[in-house]
Amino acid sequence: MTTPVLAVRDLRLRRGTREILRGVSFDAVRGEILAVMGSSGSGKTTILRTIAGLERHDSGDISVDGGRAGMVFQFHCLFEHLTALDNVCLAPVHAHGVARPDAVRRAHELLAAFGVDHRAHALPRELSGGEAQRVAIARALAVDPQVLLLDEPTASLDPGRRSELSALLLDLARQGRTLVVATHDEDFARACASRTLRLSEGVLQT
Amino acid sequence: MSSFAKRLIQIWNALLARPIAVAALTLTVCAAGSSTAAAQTPPGSRSGQEFRWAGDAEGGAPFVEADPARPDAVSGFDVDIAALLARGLHRAPRFVMITFTSIDQSIARGDAEIGLSGIEDTPARRAALSTTLPYYEFREVLSVRTADRARFRTLEDLRGRRVGTLAGTIAYDILLRGGRDHGTKAVAYEDDVHPYSDLVLGRVDAVLLDNVLADRRKRFVAGFTIQPDTIAVGHYVGVLSPANAPLRDACNEILRAAMRDGTLERIFRKWNVWNDDQPKLHARLLAGEQVPPVAGFDTSSSDAGTAALSPLDATRRYLPSLLRASVITIVLSCLSMALAVMLGVLIATGRVYGGRAVRLVLTGYVELMRGTPILLQLFVLYYGIAEAIRLPAFVAALVGLALNYAAYESEIYRGALEAIPSGQLEAGRTLGLSERQILTLVRGPQAFRLALAPMTNDFVALLKDSSLVSVLTVMELTKQTQIFATNLGSWVIPGTLCAALYLAMSLPLAAAAARLERRWKAGTA
Repeated sequence: MTTPVLAVRDLRLRRGTREILRGVSFDAVRGEILAVMGSSGSGKTTILRTIAGLERHDSGDISVDGGRAGMVFQFHCLFEHLTALDNVCLAPVHAHGVARPDAVRRAHELLAAFGVDHRAHALPRELSGGEAQRVAIARALAVDPQVLLLDEPTASLDPGRRSELSALLLDLARQGRTLVVATHDEDFARACASRTLRLSEGVLQT
Repeated sequence: MSSFAKRLIQIWNALLARPIAVAALTLTVCAAGSSTAAAQTPPGSRSGQEFRWAGDAEGGAPFVEADPARPDAVSGFDVDIAALLARGLHRAPRFVMITFTSIDQSIARGDAEIGLSGIEDTPARRAALSTTLPYYEFREVLSVRTADRARFRTLEDLRGRRVGTLAGTIAYDILLRGGRDHGTKAVAYEDDVHPYSDLVLGRVDAVLLDNVLADRRKRFVAGFTIQPDTIAVGHYVGVLSPANAPLRDACNEILRAAMRDGTLERIFRKWNVWNDDQPKLHARLLAGEQVPPVAGFDTSSSDAGTAALSPLDATRRYLPSLLRASVITIVLSCLSMALAVMLGVLIATGRVYGGRAVRLVLTGYVELMRGTPILLQLFVLYYGIAEAIRLPAFVAALVGLALNYAAYESEIYRGALEAIPSGQLEAGRTLGLSERQILTLVRGPQAFRLALAPMTNDFVALLKDSSLVSVLTVMELTKQTQIFATNLGSWVIPGTLCAALYLAMSLPLAAAAARLERRWKAGTA
């Protein structure tokens, strides 16, 4: 429990003249759920995107156990031309060399675990917001990342769905995943976070 | 061929062969000499009025040529004959520039009273229009590369060989017959310059055209020899609308008088086309002898004899060749489109993913292709670079259409690629997909669906633009239709058949694309 799975050291990022991250450092250990909170524009999403490798930082270090963190986007960003099942199978088959029958079996397991296996052959447009989010989580987990990043996961969910999501994330943490959740939903953070980081103007408040 | 295409050919020919540029759609010619008052007034003479005559200045000397000294005037033996006729009718000649292949139809619809431009006497013309006396006799002669002088003397020697000529002429009919009898392959040109340049380049093994055209080209192009044997004998006539028979008779009287008093001889001598055949022709005509349009070639079973056919018979006769031309059109269009799609994908990918230099080069290519006429591109590809790369006509047509359409396709694909939300691309990256995999598995397939409708539009446009390649001697549907119409003297049946064939090709295509789109939509609704 003590070895960090995710280590962020003195992360700095500038866009033009604007400093978005001004020396952010934190660790996360196995099975931990970290909530990153802060007002809009405070840099929550940028931290997640930088850890995911989508933004280039100017200085600092990021180390992720297993090399790559999985990410669930606020608007899910499912591949619109593929079914839920194929969304989940695509990366294992093409980026990780998993045989398709094995990838399909694993995808069904993941979709079933999140209660959306009956939607396996639906296209993203046919899914509800909650269903799409579960498919997006299944897709991210299909390549088995140790760290999973979630950007505003409750933004499009009604209160009932939010508590379901809390339960689901806690379950993932119990299985040993490390989760970093950018959110401005205090109730949700209280319900599932092991620790909360507060971000203001690109620095963590202590 | 469009008037624009015609202009391009004119400019090209001027660059290639003549120091003068041909211009202006309508040129006025002042009558040479003053009109002499006649005791009796011939029919058709309306003193003080204009005598509108049609010719094609692109035909050049010695027929009708824009005057090098005065580009607003034309000269040539047909110009002098028009002046002669006008003088006899006490009218002032006025030249109307009409594309050579359209002179018959233009006369029939009344754009001018008479057409004079080295127009051949054929049974079809005699049936469809009023034709004057044949005023000049020519011989159809074979031209071959000087090195082949001994082995290609007759059409029989040219079995399996390509022989060039002007489309829609007696020579073309002779070559079509030669194809059936001796296995020669007729290659139809739109002008009389490129058959000879292609002969020297080796694209064709012989050219069959009349001796006036062959002699004229011989002065500008080295490396070919005109064979002495006469393949057939034909005549130049003036053409008038069928309703204008009285004017035709008046013109014939003027021509006979000019044969008697030596005026016609002076005109032809002035243009260096007088020879021993002409006094014999004039003597026969003055003796009242009927001169058949063509000697040495039986026109009754040739395409030039179709004017007398009923619409049904004409359709039955031409449908097979129109269908063959349709096959050329569809094969050419499909292959060009396939190549254009492949190139378009590469260009679009380069413009979206490439570095600054790559993007700059590709943008330049797209703008060049979109900003210049496709006809010019085809000319450059086929004739312009022929000294360096000698592309066969079909290949040049295919590549030319593909290079042009690739520019348009690439813009469609670029737009479609950029329309795919960036979030999906980022999702692919976080999942460990490479940029290439994101393009081929995520971005490309979705972009293709977006591009399908505009691509279908482009394919239908290409199907029709493929008619432009007739300028490179490819006998596609529109060109075949034009020849059909020229021989028949009417556009009604050929035009209808041609339109029906184009629709038969484009409608199923549009329907297939619509079905595909519906299927994808149904899956995502």
